[in-house]
Amino acid sequence: MTYPSSSLSGRSCSASLGSTTLAMKAQRALSAHAINASVIKINSSKTRKGCAYGISFDCDQTANVKTILAKENIPVREFL
Amino acid sequence: MKNKTVYLDNAATTFPKPSAVTDAVYECIKNYCGNPSRGSNPLAMLCAQKVFECRETLSNMFACPTENVIFTYNTTYALNMAIKGIMQDGGHILISDLEHNAVLRPVASLQRDGCVEYDTFEAYAQTPEQIISDIDRKKRPDTRAVCCTHISNICSYTLPIKEIGKYCRDNNLIFICDGAQSAGHIPINMQDCNIDILCIPFHKGLYGPQGGGAMLLSEGVSPPTIIQGGNGVNSLEYFMGDTHPEKYEAGTLNTPAIIGLCEGLKFVNTQSISEIQKHDKELFSYTLSALSNIRGVKIYDHTPGSTLLFNVEGFSSDEVGEILGCDGICVRTGFHCSPLSHKALRTPSHGAVRVSFGSFNTISHIDFLCSAAERMCLRKRRI
Repeated sequence: MTYPSSSLSGRSCSASLGSTTLAMKAQRALSAHAINASVIKINSSKTRKGCAYGISFDCDQTANVKTILAKENIPVREFL
Repeated sequence: MKNKTVYLDNAATTFPKPSAVTDAVYECIKNYCGNPSRGSNPLAMLCAQKVFECRETLSNMFACPTENVIFTYNTTYALNMAIKGIMQDGGHILISDLEHNAVLRPVASLQRDGCVEYDTFEAYAQTPEQIISDIDRKKRPDTRAVCCTHISNICSYTLPIKEIGKYCRDNNLIFICDGAQSAGHIPINMQDCNIDILCIPFHKGLYGPQGGGAMLLSEGVSPPTIIQGGNGVNSLEYFMGDTHPEKYEAGTLNTPAIIGLCEGLKFVNTQSISEIQKHDKELFSYTLSALSNIRGVKIYDHTPGSTLLFNVEGFSSDEVGEILGCDGICVRTGFHCSPLSHKALRTPSHGAVRVSFGSFNTISHIDFLCSAAERMCLRKRRI
């Protein structure tokens, strides 16, 4: 299934996943559903535990991102 | 080095490597070798991406989740992490009579320290039913795991890992498999074989560089880690955390080796494991036949595969290795870090000579070896 990208807001949201491996796995899973995501290092000021990686995506895709990552069993620490 | 080198020690490490492997390692070190998962600078992120791609390829090849591909520094590290992690709370472990020191020494050391007990089950020259029956006989109420090699490192004898895996699954035991000699030579599907932990090297049948190995975990398998340190995530925490694979990957990875491995895996996939297996068996059968025709040569196991063990009457194995070496022929002599296997195969007190094939070996290499062995035997008979 692909998710419509015609009405994207252009605003960027992010999800913290912990490691680069999980972030890249999430990126792959989203890409398979035609959702663009970039792997990012989460700003240290936003994490309590220190260095963490995650993905950045269009905020309008947040619901889809949540659904896909849950379906793929990719644990998300928090949506930022 | 001699003008002509005939390399027949591929069970120790494959040589040569495909040129794509050496090119990739060189390219990485020269142009972009950042530290994966350390910060977010462009080179760190590029290397993290390449390391991830290598995990994906391994996960597809061996059927385990991508994040359960744990990079280590060799198979021995992987086996130590697996055995010591799984046995951290004590108990009993079973190993086969064909184990390399990479398995024997960790369990012997744990037993000496009073942490764990181990027993050895008979695998060599046994049917799968006999092997399972011996495992069953030696299993105790506190047995936690079975750890065994897939293929012996001194001959091509292959253990029935599918049957052993099923037994472990049915009896709630963790199955740790040493794939040092089988990865890249035989297809291994962790799910089909119920392997909980598979330990593999980069530099043998997968044609990667030395200095790399992997511990592959099945879905849901997560032993405690025995090595702690920085892993690029949760830096403010005093503990490693539970996220795979970083839970196990303390310290900087061998990025050039991982990038080289990625090309090695492409080489294996392009050749196809079934063709590699066919090539191994053809060379084995040719070598077996040629060496068998030389009076004074004793061959120890006739299972076809990538490795053949022999001795030459009147010479110690080291003498044979030295004489062959003078002709530029590279073999491995002695005990091959595998005292249990030599006992099982009943080799003499000086060990034996191992020849092992790789994708770049040809029949002419075997002819060269056999001529040298024949000359050796003739010389001995004349004396």
